[in-house]
Amino acid sequence: MTKAKSRAATSHKHVEEEGVSAGDRWIRVSREHLVATLRALQAEGYKSLLFMSAVDHLATPVRPSPPERFELIYQLRNLDTREELRVRVWVPEDDPVAPTASEIYAPAGWDERETWDMFGIRFDGHKDLVRILMPEDWEGHPLRRDFPVGGETVDFSEDHEVWQTAPEEA
Amino acid sequence: MSSSPTGVTISREPAEGHVGGELLTVNFGPQHPSTHGVLRLVVILDGEVIRGVRPVIGYLHTGIEKQMEALRWQQGVVVTDRHDYLSPLHNNLAYAMAVERLVGVEPPPRAQALRVIMCELTRISSHCLWLGTSSLELGAMSMFMYCLRERETVLAMNEEISGYRMHTSYIRPGGVMADATERFWDMLADFVEKMPGHVDEYEDLLTNNPIWKRRTVGIGYLSAEDAVRLGASGPMVRGSGLPWDLRKTMPYSGYEKYDFEIAVEEAGDCYARYLCRIKEFRESVRILKQAMASIPDGPINVDERKMLPPPREELETSMEAVIHHFKLFTEGYSVPSGDVYAAVESPRGEHGCYVVSDGTHKPRRVKFRSASFVNLQALEHMAMGSMIADMIAIIGTADTVLGDVDR
Repeated sequence: MTKAKSRAATSHKHVEEEGVSAGDRWIRVSREHLVATLRALQAEGYKSLLFMSAVDHLATPVRPSPPERFELIYQLRNLDTREELRVRVWVPEDDPVAPTASEIYAPAGWDERETWDMFGIRFDGHKDLVRILMPEDWEGHPLRRDFPVGGETVDFSEDHEVWQTAPEEA
Repeated sequence: MSSSPTGVTISREPAEGHVGGELLTVNFGPQHPSTHGVLRLVVILDGEVIRGVRPVIGYLHTGIEKQMEALRWQQGVVVTDRHDYLSPLHNNLAYAMAVERLVGVEPPPRAQALRVIMCELTRISSHCLWLGTSSLELGAMSMFMYCLRERETVLAMNEEISGYRMHTSYIRPGGVMADATERFWDMLADFVEKMPGHVDEYEDLLTNNPIWKRRTVGIGYLSAEDAVRLGASGPMVRGSGLPWDLRKTMPYSGYEKYDFEIAVEEAGDCYARYLCRIKEFRESVRILKQAMASIPDGPINVDERKMLPPPREELETSMEAVIHHFKLFTEGYSVPSGDVYAAVESPRGEHGCYVVSDGTHKPRRVKFRSASFVNLQALEHMAMGSMIADMIAIIGTADTVLGDVDR
């Protein structure tokens, strides 16, 4: 019964791809259909957004290479069936914008501010998209892979890696 | 209408019949003893009544997630100790569970039982510190000393089992750091014997205390629907009558083997959240007793030489062991590419760890779903319309740890 139900949840018309990663179910939708998909999933019973965030795939060794640099992640949970579902959305580097989910899921309000702060992805329609963790005059977005880690080399240790992805590799 | 120094304009329509004809913007914190860390609130007041709250966070931001990406898989454990510094073991566990699921290994039963024991001890010590400090803020001075006494006992046990009092890094991907010593079992047996009596002491001092009740009953109301809508977890939802506890509803690390109840209270106010945590003290002791009695024998780590160093004695006789040891400590191990979300019930609610691996020896991304970060968003909703003095009770019983909020 639960199996049949989960298939219903992912057979949504906008789903472009679906899969299972280490036991976690996920679906992928396009940016245009994100809001409609989240609304439909909420109506289906995924009442709880556990978190939303982004992943930077710059210079990843994973093959085949991801089509875009950024990926947004929305982790949803159905409190009645105790099922979880991850919604993934590609966001291109040259146009880092996505529609806001804060109207649908209240916790997305701060999570989207954090994603803007850390990755520089803007959320259309967010009422208060300002930096949340870094100071407001900070330059750059620290969780991007081409943002230096900083720190210094400790004497007699191996070389400290200042860059995750150096500018010439990007 | 007022402009906060973050460059954001907060506007609220003045309420009907407001005092003095204007709203007053007051800066609360960041260095305020009741904020349990460094939390700044921009509060809009109508007389003494709160009409708007804007939490300004980030003062304790230490780039934990960025640091995790710069460290190897086994080194990351040390960093996870440090964001929610009151429940380091739960942070370790969420990270370890995520890595184990990506690698595809299951820790042995003895390791799982040791994890449960250490997590429940941490829950008790975290609740002790919470109870001590939040009652201190509301005027119950002596509570702090009683609670810190028990917390000290737990920290001594941490030291006995791992060598560290607070940032133990005891739970690691693949198992735990070391087996419990004889002395640890003696200390634990003594502790579970005495702890219920200590909880009675706390209750004698607070549960029917008229001052405590007047400061907490009916204050900071949060309904069950709002708690779910705002994503709250832990005692914040259980205090509102929703029986949601990951240990029971989505069991992990063998919690399904233990007989305990979800601590639920219906009222949804600060007093209900207090009663909830008092119940959790007793339930944790119940779990500890069962875990002590039923702990299985066997290894405490997975038998996977690519993830964990070989035993010391093998290094002297086995070439293979030396190679594994060398590879592990110079290069680390790589984790198959993929992503996973693992969540545990920390003392503050759902603590989750989302890990993305690109197949190398360092994580591509580690995201912590911090219970404090999400629960703090409910603060504005809970505080709206109450008195400024009640803000202390509301922040206190929300039990946010600012290191965890800012990461």
